[in-house]
Amino acid sequence: MLRLYSTIQKEILILLRDRGGLIIMFIMPMAMITLMALIQDAPFRDYQEMRIPLLLVNNDNGNLGSTIDLGLNESKIFEITKLHLDQDIVKQKMKSGDYDIAIIIPEGASKILNSKVSNFVTKKLNEAGFSDTSSITKTDLTQELNLEILFSPETKKSFKASILSTLKQATSKIETQTLLELFNKELKQEDKSGKRKSEPMKDFVNFQEINTVETPAEALKLNSVQHNVPAWTIFGMFFIVISMSGSIIKERDDGSYTRILTMPGLYITVLAGKIAAYLLICLIQCVLMLMVGIYILPQFGLPQLVIGNSIPAISIVAITAGLAATGYGVFVGSIFKTHQQASTFGAISVVILAALGGIWVPVFVMPESLKIAVEFSPLYWGLSAFHKLFLNEGTVQSILPYAFKLLLFFIFTLSFAFLYTKNNRS
Amino acid sequence: MNATAAIEVKNLLKTYKGSAIPAVNSISFTVEKGSIFGLLGPNGAGKTTTISILCGLSKASTGDVTLMGLSLKKQLNEIKQLIGVVPQEIALYPTLTAFENLRYIGNMYGLKGDNLRKKIKENLELVGLSEFAEKQIITFSGGMKRRINLVAGILHEPKILFLDEPTVGVDVQSRNLITEHLHLLNNAGCTIIYTSHLMEEAENLCTSIAIIDHGKIIATGEPKKLIQEHSKSTLEQLFLKLTGKKLRD
Repeated sequence: MLRLYSTIQKEILILLRDRGGLIIMFIMPMAMITLMALIQDAPFRDYQEMRIPLLLVNNDNGNLGSTIDLGLNESKIFEITKLHLDQDIVKQKMKSGDYDIAIIIPEGASKILNSKVSNFVTKKLNEAGFSDTSSITKTDLTQELNLEILFSPETKKSFKASILSTLKQATSKIETQTLLELFNKELKQEDKSGKRKSEPMKDFVNFQEINTVETPAEALKLNSVQHNVPAWTIFGMFFIVISMSGSIIKERDDGSYTRILTMPGLYITVLAGKIAAYLLICLIQCVLMLMVGIYILPQFGLPQLVIGNSIPAISIVAITAGLAATGYGVFVGSIFKTHQQASTFGAISVVILAALGGIWVPVFVMPESLKIAVEFSPLYWGLSAFHKLFLNEGTVQSILPYAFKLLLFFIFTLSFAFLYTKNNRS
Repeated sequence: MNATAAIEVKNLLKTYKGSAIPAVNSISFTVEKGSIFGLLGPNGAGKTTTISILCGLSKASTGDVTLMGLSLKKQLNEIKQLIGVVPQEIALYPTLTAFENLRYIGNMYGLKGDNLRKKIKENLELVGLSEFAEKQIITFSGGMKRRINLVAGILHEPKILFLDEPTVGVDVQSRNLITEHLHLLNNAGCTIIYTSHLMEEAENLCTSIAIIDHGKIIATGEPKKLIQEHSKSTLEQLFLKLTGKKLRD
């Protein structure tokens, strides 16, 4: 125990006196979390809550214009600016970047739509044998009804689809309502007072959004904070590979490792002390970075990090992810001969594992071919476990498969490093 | 088993993986208790391999080694408690203070508390570093580093001390202090195994020597006797006669 305790004490003292190392281990990941959460806030809002700026030029005074206006508002996807402008001016405004999307509803659009529907109804009733269709107003069939939708080249396909869907829904509602009204009129379903029994058509199917967890829905969205804080926390923890491998190589180069091997007891006790010290650093990193999500990021106008309810589960993820990171540090420190080799390989490999693990961009936006490789990244296991806890209110049981994989990774890397070193020594 | 022997080496052979030539080729020698034994040889002769095996850092391919009557193969952990090693490198943590380094090393040998503090204080006084106990090693001069490196190897009062070039790169004063300290240790009963390229230092310090070349011991005995036997006036002349003048690096 004395050897273990003494090694932990020695390692912590060395780490505390390495100012550059402390900056890499604590300040940089915290700055990274803050920056990445701020930078990725807008792209995440694109997916989740950001409204698309839209210019609506409604020159129609009828129900088509008002229904489209209402439909766009109710969709809650658009930030609508209403102006009465000519098409040329609208184009100019879009060219200058004031708007990405504009809809122009022409004057008399409702009248034209009603007429077109009337003609359609007349034709159909005549075909059905209703000879007297005098009550339906006949109009000019040659008049075209064109709603103009202007998109800037940068407009995303998903935004275009949203606009078209909303417009189709609005026009379809008007068409159906007009059809029904005309059929009613033709079938002489009027009350004695002369007023039509005209009820606005209701939706027959309601869509109800239900969240699968009981925490307020707003808090559980995969926003920039909910993604970036756990993601960069895991990344920061794995970045310890640089300090740790450097420490192992330095001990080997300056003869301390040789001296330790000539001392009584097993080297594994000394290694356990080193791992324990670096694990402690990982855990402090983890707590600090989660605190950044909870207390600092809201100061920048970002949502507060929601960490779920299971502190034991969070602790298990943090400990197993920390072990995986330290195991990887021992592995890199054992197989590489120089600090430059180890730090370069360590940094690049962690960045690759991070990219594969969904740290940079969420896994669901990755190409299908990459999603297979994702399963082999320990950073993905750590991040998935945190997502389970932070987004789905996961329990200890729900994160155990990920914790088990992280633990296996630790055992594997440590065993490989041990065998490699033993083989090279003999 | 020789009761007066600190180290007995019999037919020690070591061949590294991928090498056809043995680094150490069936060597045998005995180091008497209380002696200062110099293992001398040109670069690549097999000194480091021999010392590595004796310290338990490397395994012999064949052969038997006993230290203080204990078998290296079977009782390595007990042997480690009896030996001290002073490597050629300054095997200390530069950002830790002298006291912190020695406390860590003492703890590794099971020393702790007041006993450890007392030993650290005494040893630092002996090498003239007591006022630098709380200074980081990184601030030490080359000579100071060598002296603290020596203390780190003897803090637990080993029965056998292995020294690899303990005075390389230090000034005359520091070298003098180190050799004086080694004599003191030897007088207190510590057997010293010493390797060096400084023949004059070896001649003055060692009570017996072995000259090794190409993995074989080519001469062994008391330095003065060996010099006389080969009709030479210094150990350096004898060394050059036995190992040749051809460069080895």
